[in-house]
Amino acid sequence: MEEIIRIQQLYKSFGTLEVLKGIDLSVNKGEILTIIGPSGSGKSTLLRCMNHLEKADRGSISIDGQYIGKAEGKDGKTVYRSNKEILTICRRLGMVFQNFNLFPHKSVIENLIEAPVKVKKMEKEEALLIARELLKKVGLLDKEKAYPNQLSGGQKQRVAIARALAMQPEIMLFDEPTSALDPELIGEVLQVIKQLAEEHMTMVIVTHEMNFARDISDRVIFMEKGEIVTQGSPEEILINPRLPRLQTFLNKVV
Amino acid sequence: MEHLNYIMEITPYILEGAVFSIQIYVVTMLFAIPLGMLCALGKLVHFKPLRWLLEAYTWVFRGTPLLLQLFFVYYGLPFVPVIGVEFSREMAAFVTFILNYGAYFTEIFRAGIQSIDKGQYEAAKALGMSYPRTMCSIIIPQAIKVIVPPLGNEAVTLIKDTALCSVIAIPEMLKNAKAVVARDAAVSGYIIAAVAYLAMTFVIINIFKYIEKRLSYYDK
Repeated sequence: MEEIIRIQQLYKSFGTLEVLKGIDLSVNKGEILTIIGPSGSGKSTLLRCMNHLEKADRGSISIDGQYIGKAEGKDGKTVYRSNKEILTICRRLGMVFQNFNLFPHKSVIENLIEAPVKVKKMEKEEALLIARELLKKVGLLDKEKAYPNQLSGGQKQRVAIARALAMQPEIMLFDEPTSALDPELIGEVLQVIKQLAEEHMTMVIVTHEMNFARDISDRVIFMEKGEIVTQGSPEEILINPRLPRLQTFLNKVV
Repeated sequence: MEHLNYIMEITPYILEGAVFSIQIYVVTMLFAIPLGMLCALGKLVHFKPLRWLLEAYTWVFRGTPLLLQLFFVYYGLPFVPVIGVEFSREMAAFVTFILNYGAYFTEIFRAGIQSIDKGQYEAAKALGMSYPRTMCSIIIPQAIKVIVPPLGNEAVTLIKDTALCSVIAIPEMLKNAKAVVARDAAVSGYIIAAVAYLAMTFVIINIFKYIEKRLSYYDK
């Protein structure tokens, strides 16, 4: 298995609150990794460190062998590359947010082609072609002219997934993609993610949907208080959990 | 009938002053808007000395009367060592108004830009957009929608503030109206000026209403 994300001894504090306490983690190409844990456990922060939305204090992060931040010196302080280089490396990662973060002043199709045209310098025609293909994939081809505020939460999140895919990333990061949705809209979003799983997209998913995590994951990580407490197959972590802390957590969420 | 003749006689003279009012209005808007936008972006940069400089600029120009600034630029500036320059009356008015309104616009634009959700920056960054690209394509276009109503408010104030130029003896509308009133001891001159100001603000208000309507094609 080929390693594509590698994180070593990652530490991160917000003021005096230490949210990541020495995380070691690697993700393989084609792997579907879900991260579970109580709120405040640092799972979103860990995910956001992968594409430089958060800056780690100490430790290293590399994408496919290229460091975006590298631990240096005795204390292992993270030294980052230039912003420009990081942007280029992180183009290989797509991200889907809890709150969608669609661009409200742009129509659905404009949301999809913005980055391919402006960042990748793709021809508009080609970008439109890819965008429509993706809208078809997420079942929203008829909404290309709509504005985000005209869509339901589930539709917004499907557009957000399509927008991330339009940059043709190799890895997709999902930060609680269904947490802001009404219960009846969760299914349609999970369906799209499942479809990506079938295509063997590398994915790191932070989620509270345990059934979904069980069905889709190759590996599940349980985090608590800034540490990876345990990890393993969905079978080991979600179906037959042995650690009492994990059992307590699962009893609370299911 | 006699009264109507009198009004017909004094109106052109008063409206001549309006030409200057409109002139300074257009020049101020044309330069103060880009100035305000640049200063607003400068205030968001992490480079502290620049922020302090801009903070001082907006403080001085928003913290003192426009009237005082006009006096100072026209009468005072020639006596200031090193930077002392002598402007013509019109030029002094242009410079003062641009700097004064630029300061207000800076704050309006800064507030507008800062009202945009952090998630928009994050989404843009996750898509590989650089900071300048994010500002141009994502943040500023959304900020404009927030900025237009308070900008419209300032735009109305500006047309009335042009009357202050009379203090440096520029023959703008109020000064001409005052001259007529003083000569004839009749208030008609003031009424004509008032109607002209109302007409101008009416146009401005409707231009901004139109812009707001154009921007209402989306909602947050």
